[in-house]
Amino acid sequence: MKLVGIAGSIGEQSYNRDLLKFIAKKYAGLAEIELVDISDLPVFNPDKDQSESPEVQRVYQKIASAQGVILATPEHNHTVPAAMKNMIEWLSYNLHPFEGKPVWIVGASYHSQGSARAQLHLKQILESPGINAVVMPGDEFLLSNAKEAFDAEGNLKDARTIGFLEKLLHKFLKYVKVIDLFDAPDTMTADDEDLEAKGKVNTTIEGVDMNDDEWVEKAAVRVHAVDGSTYVKLDRGILTVDQLNYFLNTMPVELTYADDNNQFIYYNKNTPTAKMLAPRRPGQAGDPLSSVHPDRAVKHVKQVIHALRTGDSDLVAMPVPGNGPDKHIMHYYKGMHDENGRYRGVNEWVVDIMPIIKYYLDSTGQKLVVDENKRPTSPIIGLDAVTGASSHGSSASAAPQADASTGASESDATPAAPAVEQAPVADEGGIEIGDLLNSGNNTATEGIQPKEVTETPKAAPKPSTPAAAKPEVDASTGASES
Amino acid sequence: MKKIVAIVGSNADRSTNRQLLEYMQQRYKGEAEIDLMEVDGLPIFQKTRGMVIPDQAKEMAAKIDAAAGVIIATPEWDHSIPAILSSALAWLSYGIHPLMDKPVMITGASFGNLGTSRAQAQLRQILDSPEIEARIMPSSEFLLGHSLNAFDQNGDLLDESQNERLDALFEDFMTFTDVTGKLKHTYADDERRKNEMHVDYGVEGTERQAEH
Repeated sequence: MKLVGIAGSIGEQSYNRDLLKFIAKKYAGLAEIELVDISDLPVFNPDKDQSESPEVQRVYQKIASAQGVILATPEHNHTVPAAMKNMIEWLSYNLHPFEGKPVWIVGASYHSQGSARAQLHLKQILESPGINAVVMPGDEFLLSNAKEAFDAEGNLKDARTIGFLEKLLHKFLKYVKVIDLFDAPDTMTADDEDLEAKGKVNTTIEGVDMNDDEWVEKAAVRVHAVDGSTYVKLDRGILTVDQLNYFLNTMPVELTYADDNNQFIYYNKNTPTAKMLAPRRPGQAGDPLSSVHPDRAVKHVKQVIHALRTGDSDLVAMPVPGNGPDKHIMHYYKGMHDENGRYRGVNEWVVDIMPIIKYYLDSTGQKLVVDENKRPTSPIIGLDAVTGASSHGSSASAAPQADASTGASESDATPAAPAVEQAPVADEGGIEIGDLLNSGNNTATEGIQPKEVTETPKAAPKPSTPAAAKPEVDASTGASES
Repeated sequence: MKKIVAIVGSNADRSTNRQLLEYMQQRYKGEAEIDLMEVDGLPIFQKTRGMVIPDQAKEMAAKIDAAAGVIIATPEWDHSIPAILSSALAWLSYGIHPLMDKPVMITGASFGNLGTSRAQAQLRQILDSPEIEARIMPSSEFLLGHSLNAFDQNGDLLDESQNERLDALFEDFMTFTDVTGKLKHTYADDERRKNEMHVDYGVEGTERQAEH
């Protein structure tokens, strides 16, 4: 967990800074706590806005990108130091990084009060409308007689004080998780899904028009996004931003990231728009999902997102019909969740699976045959729950709904015409998403099912017997096989 | 005639708190000589080993020393007084104590409904702290809400009931400045404490006052 610690005193020597240093060092295993200095901030003056100055921006960025903030306040004349208040004034004027941010207040003082009154003032201040921080209620950490509290190494001496501090830190780490869930959009039904992304989550970049074609460039400036050779620490590895781009851009699938605010914030730009299976334009990044879907798809996009958000479904998959026998384009939608289980958006990937099937058939000497006994089933995976809830029809009726959610305007752009000529099942070759929406019967579903892919194991050599010569070559790649 | 220092709690170019004090300056010119004092230009309070106080703060302290009383007009920013006013009060209690035992009247103007009620409550607590220890006139809130529309073109306060309240409070404040002079017992003690605090600050204990 990433936290920021700010000492309210900017004096040359500060026991509050010492306290934060101690917490950061002692509990480095529990949380990454970065101390942020506020001593170079200009004096706040509403007529001389310096919100964009490097000094204010530096503190703003640190707080905005932290999951929680620890404020350590001394007490100056029964209140918080002017320096602390000055920082807060900058961050409640044009910038509002404290909005919804979990805050833990601690304090140290020379004498018996331990900054009790300053902490109360600070709580009042942080509750004001321009700030709206979420201050952890309950236990107060008041370190009195601070001068005697630390040893030569900067560690707190008293074991009971340390025990109490540790208890509160654990409580705060839990509090941060709870408040994070509080921030998540709360949609009761699929209809509540706001595809226009009018809301805001704690990763939303404000101050840039989502529909701006330059959204990526402008939003990057806004949050000081790193690029190029800067290293990024990932779950299990470290890459530079360049390396991350090489990696994602050569993925054999088209990847799209739509966040939990239903904003389309990324795609791996690996091919020109015209050559994409689900065409996206560079200018679309940043758009709300409503801008990249036709109106008629909206209802079904909402159903898919809602199923992923609520956990009713973990993965939705569906084919894009009408591409003929040489292409079988699949759209997959995977719900993404953070370590607390909070939904954080959709991971969509689009892939043509025909080359894989063709390779398999070629390398194993098999061929596809129509299964006359096959009962019609939905080609859609993962929307059963939605079907059950929204209609009492067969899974067939779910299929078209889901299909629409692929939605994406790009589905419409998928060239359908050539498929008609080549498709053995010509009647559904040119079908449009919109038509599918209205059909909702078994015949249509059956139609979507690409018959040429239906496997018939009886006719082919058994995959378990590596009779052909080619599989041996394959085996050599698999380390575990021998 | 009594000399009164009126501290403008805002550093904004256009402040209704400054406007309120200018109005009082005019309205009560027959009773007192009200001198407006700005906090703009002061640095944010910072403790230093040598206890260096900005010249501006020293000049402010001298004027307050020579005054019979102080009026403070505070805006309310984030439910509290502005950092710059807080800074001014911190400088004015850092080895120097011009506000100690000084009669103080608190006023405040805000654009909204509440008229700085929360900032004034905090300001009272601040002025009551051991290193400031001003004599705040009790039970005397003057809250000017909707301050952008409170004055006419001449800068006069439009609301007659507010004028009556302000007149009464100011008259009481004049009496209050006389009364506080009679609180001799703690007065003598405070003189002793001032000197003590000076000694205490010396080199080592510079933060005592600040992080009390």
